[in-house]
Amino acid sequence: MEKKINLTINDKEVSGRPGMTILEVAGENGIDIPTLCHIPDLPPIGACRLCVVEVEGSRTLVGSCHTPVAEGMVVQTHSPKVIATRKVLVELMLASHPDACLVCDKANICELRRIAADLEIGLPRFRTRKHYYPVEDENSGMLRDMSKCVQCRRCVVACKSPGGEPLFGMAYRGFDSKVVHGHDQPLGSESGENCDACIEICPSGALQKVRKTGEERADRALIIKG
Amino acid sequence: MTGKGVITPPKDRADLVERLKEVQRRYGHVPEEAIAELAESLAIPIHEVYGVASFYSFLSTKPLGRNVIRVCRSLPCYLKSAEMIMEAVEKELDIGPGETTPDGRFTFELANCIGLCDHAPAMLINRDPHVDLTPEKIKQILGAYK
Repeated sequence: MEKKINLTINDKEVSGRPGMTILEVAGENGIDIPTLCHIPDLPPIGACRLCVVEVEGSRTLVGSCHTPVAEGMVVQTHSPKVIATRKVLVELMLASHPDACLVCDKANICELRRIAADLEIGLPRFRTRKHYYPVEDENSGMLRDMSKCVQCRRCVVACKSPGGEPLFGMAYRGFDSKVVHGHDQPLGSESGENCDACIEICPSGALQKVRKTGEERADRALIIKG
Repeated sequence: MTGKGVITPPKDRADLVERLKEVQRRYGHVPEEAIAELAESLAIPIHEVYGVASFYSFLSTKPLGRNVIRVCRSLPCYLKSAEMIMEAVEKELDIGPGETTPDGRFTFELANCIGLCDHAPAMLINRDPHVDLTPEKIKQILGAYK
């Protein structure tokens, strides 16, 4: 029989198998930890930090998507400290995010917006300059609006050209960091084969479907709890 | 501009920065062709090489002027009013950060810490350090570069 690892999550005794992350074990036990950069079955990215949890004995909060479970671990996934940290993280993402939800095609299915609503984030506390990049619509399968990118790096890890080459990488530095293709060029026609999967993994409106006039919007209207 | 195989092929990925520095020394900036050539010889996507080249403020993917001004924008210089220095340079040359004068005499860039914090605010012109700057000093300093 396979070895079991016993730990405590939110005062509940649970167990996982060796190699599993805290996020995976929590998920199996019905505990929902928010994530923006995690993609199941792909190597963890650890960029968004929203999955942070409190682990007893650890000096800092740890990212649950890339921390393996260990015997006797005591984890809190929704303690006041964790919630406060998640709130600030999302507020910082929103601080440089364009106020364009009203006209954004992905507003109804936007993960960033849903998580902001779940965490009950209200009016912005932080004010900073926004990113303004031209919308890249040269490709027939995918529209890129990097002003809306939160740099979760999901597309960097997941998006491949039809030939299997990674399509995107990170460039520049600090506030100017940006997900780029080639020499920071718009995606040409060469890679517009099957982009729907990549558009779906993008948690914001940065990657969108090229929508034709009259075509239906994705999903139902987002209902914000209030 | 760069014929195939003009650039010393990198030994491995760790060697990439050295090769990019060599390209910059030789051509004054890192042209697209060089990035493509380096990417091909390492068998990695172009965006990875571009990512490295664009990360470092001393590497440029665009052609530069004859003289390159790099005003430090890190915290110690900022606290010593580096913004006033940037404004003085902007006013003197009529260009903003990242731009080159139409005559190609100067390129004005912002750099991360250049290690001259004890004499902040500081800037480099080409390889010459200029320290303890005030807006009044800028005109004379720039005048020495043709």
